[in-house]
Amino acid sequence: MNTLFYLAAAVAILATLLVITRAHAVHALLYLIVSLLAAALAFFLLGAPFAAALEVIVYAGAIMVLFVFVVMMLNLGTHSVRGERQWLRPAAWVGPGLLAAVLLAELVYVLGGWSAPATTPAAIGPREVGLALFGPYVLAVELASVMLLAGLVGAYHLARPQKEAEGEA
Amino acid sequence: MQSADYMALLPLLVLSGALGAVMLLIAIGRHHGLTALLTLAGLAAAVAALPVAAARAPIRVTALLTIDGYGLFFMALVLLATAAVALLGYAYFRSWSGHREEFYLLLLCAALGACVLVVSSHFTAFFVGLEILSIALYALIAYPRHRAESLEAGIKYLVLAAGSAGFLLFGMALIYAERGTLDFTALAAAGGVPATLQSQVMLLTGLSLLLVGVGFKLALVPFHMWTADVYQGAPAPVTAFVATVSKTAVVALLLRLLAPMGAQSGAAFSQILAVLAAASMVGGNLLALRQQSVKRLLAYSSIAHLGYVLVAVLAAGPAAVPAVMFYMAAYTLAQLGSFGVIAVRSSRLTEADALESFSGLFFRQPWLATVFTAMLLSLAGIPLTAGFVGKFYVISAGAQNHLWWLIITLVLTSGVGLFYYLRVVVTMFSTSVPVDLTPRPVVFSGALVLTISTVLLIWLGTAPEPLVRLLQNMAP
Repeated sequence: MNTLFYLAAAVAILATLLVITRAHAVHALLYLIVSLLAAALAFFLLGAPFAAALEVIVYAGAIMVLFVFVVMMLNLGTHSVRGERQWLRPAAWVGPGLLAAVLLAELVYVLGGWSAPATTPAAIGPREVGLALFGPYVLAVELASVMLLAGLVGAYHLARPQKEAEGEA
Repeated sequence: MQSADYMALLPLLVLSGALGAVMLLIAIGRHHGLTALLTLAGLAAAVAALPVAAARAPIRVTALLTIDGYGLFFMALVLLATAAVALLGYAYFRSWSGHREEFYLLLLCAALGACVLVVSSHFTAFFVGLEILSIALYALIAYPRHRAESLEAGIKYLVLAAGSAGFLLFGMALIYAERGTLDFTALAAAGGVPATLQSQVMLLTGLSLLLVGVGFKLALVPFHMWTADVYQGAPAPVTAFVATVSKTAVVALLLRLLAPMGAQSGAAFSQILAVLAAASMVGGNLLALRQQSVKRLLAYSSIAHLGYVLVAVLAAGPAAVPAVMFYMAAYTLAQLGSFGVIAVRSSRLTEADALESFSGLFFRQPWLATVFTAMLLSLAGIPLTAGFVGKFYVISAGAQNHLWWLIITLVLTSGVGLFYYLRVVVTMFSTSVPVDLTPRPVVFSGALVLTISTVLLIWLGTAPEPLVRLLQNMAP
């Protein structure tokens, strides 16, 4: 179990290093997704399947797919098809693919029952998380909404299309 | 939660309500003056709700917040400073076209984050409050987005604050792994210095990482690199906010957290803090010496001031907590006034922070120059100003705990500090040819802030007893 955990952690670190050294945004994002998947697997191996599922759904799923699509859609045009073909040359996807394959092999190994199940006092499911969030931590949930509001207002202000002579009377 | 809990939370609830109201007002129709007025009304209502909360204090509201006199005092300081920043912002943005209203919305968000910080007694509330403050500040710093230096400052703050939040979270995780709780009081109850070396290492590493995050927010040396650029790039009212509210809130939290935790980690942790304090006092004062921009000068001086405060934080005697509270109040007043002077003199295109633009100011705008002189003298710690009384309390708190070498550093570096504060004062009174001959008229709201802070500064400097007595009752 320890070996599997350290393998997943190594994949996460390696993928993250590759994220920050890639020059191309789409290639970096592919590695970022692998890094998040590796973190999810680490959660799973530590006996937190719910956190692992959230990590996959929220980060690797929703947010990253959105990132990839937005980055890809930013340069639309006649040469976008050629561009996309260029992005998806084998050199670009082999690396993330290999790292993801390592993670998949680990997952199959664990789920297939070849490895002892995670030794955890009690698995924390969605029910416990929900009860904690809307019980003792309800104020944190409310405050998180203010945090999102601040982010939203700030992003709106900074990303609004530039008008002529802004800030001038 | 019960009704008593809601009453204790009333200032925070009112502030959140004001946030919603301002947002709705902007959605219905943009009006700069009306938005500013509603913001001020919301802040005033939150201040008015403080006595209601104080009547129930001290009270624990869920696991996250502890509403007590100590927290409420800092909350009052945060709310009043935010109101002053809103007034300065009105004066600053009045002549701008384009969207000005979001400034007040972000300001209220940041104030709410700071208010949560000062009453938090749980790592979750600490982190969420700090993030609300930081996220609102990213946008506030980069608010004049037509200015390249503001955007640069915003990006710089964003990257470094996100990095420091990572350190903070990792520190919290290590402390949690060692102690099994995120609650400040439970951490205190968990006992003294851990027996085994391994747990000692875990706890100390966690606390040190925590200190990196806090040190970044307080701009302690060696986590100070962002300060000068962000202070210079941000619009002057926002700089005032970063210098006052954001630092006051983190100092309040640090003191609440360290009171139980610091003692458990033994002498090693105090030594780290003492080194940081000394480095900040020396580094801040030396770096400020040769600055040509008043904003950069004040940035480095604020680094030194946080070093002075740490001396009182380290003292940890009965006198320490009131000393920190008084010092932060005096520091907030003087910083608000200083950046207020810069804000009311700034035009749409440039910040009036070049030192030469202050030359001969006394002969053109004598009142403005007098206010700025009072603020600088208070920052330098000259008698009859609040800054002197604050420094006096810090030194006496340190002396009670025999922190002699820190006190010697404080006194020596204050002497160095006097030089650059007086350099600005001398520039204002020099009769050399002024750069711009047409002084900008001072907008009423800006003049109001400057007048009130000057009066309070001198009042606290000459008759500090009422506030000191109040603080001694409020300190836990």
